[in-house]
Amino acid sequence: MSKTNSIIDLIEAGIRAENLRQKAIANNIANLGTPGYRRIDVKFEQLLAKSLDSSRAVELSKIKPQIYQPEQTPVKSNGNDVHWEIEVGQMIKNTLRHKAYIRLLNKKYKQIELATSVK
Amino acid sequence: MTVGVSRVEREPGWNKKGKEQMEVDNSFSPIDIAISGLRAQGKQMELISSNVANARTTDAGKGEPYRRLEAAFKLNDEMGGVELDKVLTDMSDFLKVFDPGSPRADEDGYVAMPNVNLPVEMMNLNIATRVYQANAAILKRYQQMVETTLELLR
Repeated sequence: MSKTNSIIDLIEAGIRAENLRQKAIANNIANLGTPGYRRIDVKFEQLLAKSLDSSRAVELSKIKPQIYQPEQTPVKSNGNDVHWEIEVGQMIKNTLRHKAYIRLLNKKYKQIELATSVK
Repeated sequence: MTVGVSRVEREPGWNKKGKEQMEVDNSFSPIDIAISGLRAQGKQMELISSNVANARTTDAGKGEPYRRLEAAFKLNDEMGGVELDKVLTDMSDFLKVFDPGSPRADEDGYVAMPNVNLPVEMMNLNIATRVYQANAAILKRYQQMVETTLELLR
């Protein structure tokens, strides 16, 4: 394995994380009224940052986006801590990040296409 | 060919935790701030609807009529948004209504009514609605702004 990662691998890891986060948000919204449900979130950027700290190269296959319960939002009377406003905000942020990654990937593919096209 | 990821060197103290611990910056704080505004106004609406629903509640436990509730907000220091500080109880006097037939009337025939003033509640409701709309507008506009930036990547 080379010491550095290709841009496509990095973007792929990002898109995977955003995908999982979107699922987590959908899960939270579906359980908006479930008593005792605690909202879930995806931990990926923190793990990536941690491994970037120790050494410059990252083994991307070893960093898996993790689902965890932050348990930081105030709990409602039925033991549920999902607030739809927060989920909407998370969803907007997630969509924008996802869009950015897709655009970058598209750009990269166009670059490859430019390099390989013979005219 | 390999692509190296180089770290940007920053001035000391750019982050409280120091250079060795790289912090994750999700850099969408206008969204978080707008969402905090939406939540605060949602809470405000909740209290207003409680006040309006209990505008004629003569018994709220403790042997006295319902007292109107008011939300007090405070600044969230870490991100700059707003958050609920506490729910205050309005300690102003109750309204005395002359109703000698009521079982709750005192010896002079007056019944204590909650200190809820409906026109005031309606005004507060209007303010809460407008502030909610303003926060939603900011959320939408910021989203559009980021999308404009992303257009540059096309």
